[in-house]
Amino acid sequence: MIRTKILTSADIIVICAALVLLPWLYSHFWGDGSQGETARIQVADQTPMIIPLQHSQRYTFDGPLGSSIIEVQDGRIRFVESPCRNQLCVHSGWLQNDAEFAACLPNLISITIAGRNPRFDSINF
Amino acid sequence: MTQPPPLRLHSTPDDRRIAALAALAIAIHVLETALPSPLPGVKPGLANVITLVVLLQYGWRDAVWVSLLRVFAGSLLIGSFLTPTFALSLAGACASLAVLGLAWRLNPLIPGQGLGAVGFSILAALAHMGGQLIIARLLIIPHDGLFHLLPVLMTAAVLFGIVSGIISQSILIHIRQE
Repeated sequence: MIRTKILTSADIIVICAALVLLPWLYSHFWGDGSQGETARIQVADQTPMIIPLQHSQRYTFDGPLGSSIIEVQDGRIRFVESPCRNQLCVHSGWLQNDAEFAACLPNLISITIAGRNPRFDSINF
Repeated sequence: MTQPPPLRLHSTPDDRRIAALAALAIAIHVLETALPSPLPGVKPGLANVITLVVLLQYGWRDAVWVSLLRVFAGSLLIGSFLTPTFALSLAGACASLAVLGLAWRLNPLIPGQGLGAVGFSILAALAHMGGQLIIARLLIIPHDGLFHLLPVLMTAAVLFGIVSGIISQSILIHIRQE
């Protein structure tokens, strides 16, 4: 009889390594699942634009009142500047979670975050 | 008019052994496709038990033969030859054979008994799933969202890897006792 044991010590090391790998995979790929990945920007009645949240960048969109500046940074997005009177859109602050929403109604620009597991189908106010 | 001499294929005992083992693996492979699967891509992979037994009993070269014959002949029998399923299956087989080959070469360097069937099985299962996922990402679903499946698929791979490893080791113990 050469080997009667089911597991050798090297096998146990491999099993332990696999058991360490799995929680890491879960936390790496599933951690913070509500984080949005893209933002959908709608300007007036144009086709919505999808922009990624991975790259920090500033965008300028032209609405009927003028230019709104939108900033993407660290997976978040916000209105920086808008030519509207009450500045509700700017005061909405950073958006980062799925289905979060900000709009500048006077300038007809809205931002919606789209992630991988949307929490809402639609929102009415 | 002279008749051409009849074509004779000479098979060595090695060929016949590989063919018999591959036939066994193919049978398991085909039977396994009849099993319902909870998730696409999650399969127990019991045919790999044969690959593992062949690896530990006859070496890596025979394991490559048996595994690739299983992928090709199995897909012909199921009717998935050259379909995306076949591409995934082949990618998985190649990846796990590559990892098994590496582990097989390195194994004598490990002090003590080295890896047994269970260790090889887990490595092969993880490599199989990894290879499949890379090909799926490149050819079938070119989106990084695919990798969100990775944790579940790898968990399944580890569990089924351990199960096939234990089965293989029991078979090996049985064979070696005779």
